[in-house]
Amino acid sequence: MDLLNILIVDDEFGMRRGAERALRDMHLHLHDINGDVRFSIRTAADGKELEEKMNEGPTDILVLDYKLPDTTGLDILDRLMKQPLDLLVIMITAYASLDTAVTATRRGAYDFLAKPFTPEELRGAVRKAARHLILQRQARRLAEEKRQVRFQFVSVLAHEMKSPISAIEGYLQMMRERAVGDRLADYDHIVDRCLVRIEGMRKLISDLLDMTSIESGQRQRVIATVELGDLARQAVENVRGEAARRGIAIELDVPEGARMEADRAEIEMIFNNLVSNAVKYNRDGGRVGLRLRDSDGEVRIAVEDTGIGMTPEECQRLFSDFSRIKNDRTRHILGSGLGLSTLKKIVTLYDGDISVKSQPDAGSTFSVVLRRDVASASR
Amino acid sequence: MAHILLVDDDQDIIEMNRTALSQRGHRITAAFSAAEAKQAVAADAPELAVLDVMMEDKTIGFELARELHALYPAMKLVMLTGISKEMDLRFSFGPDETWLPVSKFLEKPVNPRILADEVDGLLKETA
Repeated sequence: MDLLNILIVDDEFGMRRGAERALRDMHLHLHDINGDVRFSIRTAADGKELEEKMNEGPTDILVLDYKLPDTTGLDILDRLMKQPLDLLVIMITAYASLDTAVTATRRGAYDFLAKPFTPEELRGAVRKAARHLILQRQARRLAEEKRQVRFQFVSVLAHEMKSPISAIEGYLQMMRERAVGDRLADYDHIVDRCLVRIEGMRKLISDLLDMTSIESGQRQRVIATVELGDLARQAVENVRGEAARRGIAIELDVPEGARMEADRAEIEMIFNNLVSNAVKYNRDGGRVGLRLRDSDGEVRIAVEDTGIGMTPEECQRLFSDFSRIKNDRTRHILGSGLGLSTLKKIVTLYDGDISVKSQPDAGSTFSVVLRRDVASASR
Repeated sequence: MAHILLVDDDQDIIEMNRTALSQRGHRITAAFSAAEAKQAVAADAPELAVLDVMMEDKTIGFELARELHALYPAMKLVMLTGISKEMDLRFSFGPDETWLPVSKFLEKPVNPRILADEVDGLLKETA
């Protein structure tokens, strides 16, 4: 519920009382933002009282008579427009004086009413101004929130990018100062760590590009028939090396001929992210299962691992930007914290859903549901 | 030779500082979060702690510094920052906490040798 303060300025007592009566019990419902507006009414008889009333409290809509005993509406308008005030002015002009109305609007009045007007005409003008004011303020609020979110995102991003640079810089300084002696081999570990941090940074940059391309909607989506089995097998192939090295078995359960109308790159990202996470966060000698179920309306993908698992609180944070779960068991695992939040953005393009069930030390199952009709409809 | 606690969520920063400080003969305990740091201190209080500001939370290092100081007033604290620029944070505190119980602030990135020099300097002051 918004409350707007109206100030009526007119030297005729009858006018002030009539206007006050017309507006007093008015109530406005704005359908587009589903909000209600109420009004509080004050009055002033001349320029001096107007100034006093404006200093007493906020004014949102000023209903201003053109002719006042000590000044004119236009002079007041000129003074008001010089200040950064968040209010709208409705100018009341004399009968048939179109010139004044045009001048007033040109100098910043939002609207004008020509005397004599009916109570309903006054209410109509105030409703129009109120609506304009509320929507304008809401747009400003949203823009401000957007700037805040963007600032937060960039701040965290800057931190994430500076961390590996600091680490590499520290290691290089150690090498330059021969911190661990003159034997080259003693620096192998330091060099390895630098390479790992550089790889992490590259991953962050490529995940960031994936995420922004999905989010911006600028990316040219190519909706075509996608063979789901091929993409699932490719995702498994990509992690085959690491899985073999760590003795992790991967089982694929994809029905023959499963396909859908989709953007190939998006579906690839889903499979690649889920399968590579299932290997990364697994225990040595563990197991990964990828299962796909295909029905008329939707495609369901489930990727199950026997890894480190997560607590319910950790699961809740998982799909936001940069929300890497940092603990003893994940410290050595490379990740940008953007993969799952990107998947969440992708599945919304298919009117779908991504969710996780997990148990610490037992494993996690990530489930993705994609609706079939959505992508083909947008083709 | 002293017992030193290193608190940082970046394992490489811990590792390089551990190398530099153990070369000077210090005994090192590492903690990757404020929670771990408190556990480590309860088990075996160090003479000096090196704290990162931004770990689980943007400014948790500041809180940790105050908590450690309240429990162990003699413990020297070194704070590694880099945060004021990133988060546009000013060092601003409530009316009753106008100071941080920190002996030394070092701007990140910190050369591990320079950190070791600073640590030795602070320990010498107490000795």
